[in-house]
Amino acid sequence: MSDLGALFIRSAFIENMPLTLFLGLCTFLALSRRPGTAVGLGVAVIAVMGVTVPLNHLIYRFVLAPGAWTWAGLPDLDLSYLRLLTFIGVISAAVQLVEMILDRTFPALFTTFGVFLSLLAVHCAILGGSLFMADRNYGLAESTVFGLGAGTGFAVAVIMLSAIRRRLAYADMPDGLQGLGIAFILTGMMSLGFATFAQVAQP
Amino acid sequence: MAEMNPLRLWRQMLALPNESKNKTIAIAFVISAICAVMVTGATVILRPIQAQNRAMEQQARLEALLAEIPGLSQLLAGSDGTSLTTVVVDLQRARASPNVTPETLPTELADSRNWTQLTPQEDIANLGSRADLKQIYLLRNAEGSVELVILPISGTGYGGPIEAMIAIEGEMNTVAGLTILSHNETPGLGGRIDETAWRQQFASKQIRDETGSVRLAVARGAAATEFEVDAITGATRTNSAMTRMLQFWLGPLGYGPLLDAIRRGDF
Amino acid sequence: MKLWGTLTDPILRQNPVTLQILGICSALAVTTTLAAAITMSLALTAVVVSASGIISAIRKHLPSSIRLIMQIIIVASLVIVIDQVLQAFFYEMSQRLSVFVSLIATNCVVLGRTESFALHNRPLPAMTDALGNGLGYSLVLIILGSVRELFGHGTLLGYSIFRTAEQGGWFEPMNLMLLAPSAFFLLGGLVWAIRSWRSEQVEVSEYVLAPSREGANE
Repeated sequence: MSDLGALFIRSAFIENMPLTLFLGLCTFLALSRRPGTAVGLGVAVIAVMGVTVPLNHLIYRFVLAPGAWTWAGLPDLDLSYLRLLTFIGVISAAVQLVEMILDRTFPALFTTFGVFLSLLAVHCAILGGSLFMADRNYGLAESTVFGLGAGTGFAVAVIMLSAIRRRLAYADMPDGLQGLGIAFILTGMMSLGFATFAQVAQP
Repeated sequence: MAEMNPLRLWRQMLALPNESKNKTIAIAFVISAICAVMVTGATVILRPIQAQNRAMEQQARLEALLAEIPGLSQLLAGSDGTSLTTVVVDLQRARASPNVTPETLPTELADSRNWTQLTPQEDIANLGSRADLKQIYLLRNAEGSVELVILPISGTGYGGPIEAMIAIEGEMNTVAGLTILSHNETPGLGGRIDETAWRQQFASKQIRDETGSVRLAVARGAAATEFEVDAITGATRTNSAMTRMLQFWLGPLGYGPLLDAIRRGDF
Repeated sequence: MKLWGTLTDPILRQNPVTLQILGICSALAVTTTLAAAITMSLALTAVVVSASGIISAIRKHLPSSIRLIMQIIIVASLVIVIDQVLQAFFYEMSQRLSVFVSLIATNCVVLGRTESFALHNRPLPAMTDALGNGLGYSLVLIILGSVRELFGHGTLLGYSIFRTAEQGGWFEPMNLMLLAPSAFFLLGGLVWAIRSWRSEQVEVSEYVLAPSREGANE
């Protein structure tokens, strides 16, 4: 059990998707001006990743991976080169599903999310999560924990950045740094801070 | 009835308004089919070249390791009796596997019966399970006895799996060299296991002491005995991962019995 | 002449990375060495040019309900083909780039350009625009890759430029350059430099501080 806990901590903080692995930066930087939108984005990412990574794992293991078709008498069949297309397809479908569920159950939340949810269909971090899962041969439980952990890490990072940027809206800074420039530098400092997690001893 | 000319059908389909259901389905189908053919074609055509690349990389790593071992190149260039051979060994029986060759090894390894599950106490290198069949490289001299073995070892480092090869010589208790095949450690910290200077410390280190227990390890700081190498500063987790990897594979659950067999002359 | 403008605009004036905030994701992780940065740039440029060309060619017959997913399928297929080619002919490089080549499929630059330009223009302008954006992206990657490799390893493309202390020289490699934060700092600095030079790209601040007045505290 502690292995899964360690995996969660590792995927959320030590291998934080935007700050350590550089994934999901487009939405990370573009949607972090206000804490409100950042919270929406964070929750959406956690939801989608928590659903798609285990789902993609099942599909990969039982359809695409080398040796998946051994039961049908085709042990040599290796469809893993199709994983990119499959994962993207599953993620698009999952995003559509999350949109529909949100629309029915929490309509107010759905309108706050607006267009972000559709953006998630082509999100580097969400696809990256599935690709890492396939590369590292995680099991089902590990995939779920990894998906939730990575999503949580993304959410934590984007909410923190939005809080800082909100404060900086009142700051006096050189014109060239306004907006994107200072966002990059802030992200760099946060990344440096998160790098200290690398020394955390794990059981 | 108009002729079912494919070209005519195609033109008719294209002439439909974009939003019509039939056209949507048709376009989706055609594009998907073309993409599938393109992707599958590229993969199938390029697969043999990729397999060759993997094999060549393995070979290159091996040659690099051999080049680093002092005196080995003279040894190889010298008497005609010495030659580097490769064989698949059965770790459980500590001898060469009679029916498995390096070519058939991948198929054998796909069978889960050729893997041994490790209990948490046994699994110090965090492997999960250990393959019972391994491909190793030997250098026999003119009399036929083994002068040098090169063994593939693996473990779990801080950032992911670590794959390495260790060369052992003499009475099978002295390290001749170590090369890292792949790792995912932090560059500048744990990643320094790949640096020549650090790896060259392993040459002439002893593996077991008189009681027979494996002592080869990465020290906590500076190396103090002939069994240790200096630790890499700031890479505590990687250092301990390397130690555990070495101790597993050189111990009773790894190549230990095989090394004993070679020392006895039974190989 | 218009084509020339389409080609050169995205290099500095409308650079996808520094102005449009597109394509950063897979950019930063692969810039630890110049060789990796160049390979990634070439791969992305190849994908975006081919994708733009293909999508522009079929744009008249693409139903809008499946527009997005069709674009994604075409781009993903191109990425898979390029990935296979890399694995076959540049094996070591493909090992280093690992998942990031696959992530080109979701790269905002590619989908951004096909969605906004290729769908509404003829193939030749579309491909030119794609090439321009590819070049703009490559410029940023190459600058980052050069700086990070030079100060992180003391080499450029593997050739030693600064002799490191290990080799008996004077240069102590800056390990920070090999880690994630340095890329962010460098990119922030690059954005600052470009916007100081071309002030029309400066973002307008949301709140302007009122000038303080003498004796305002009454």
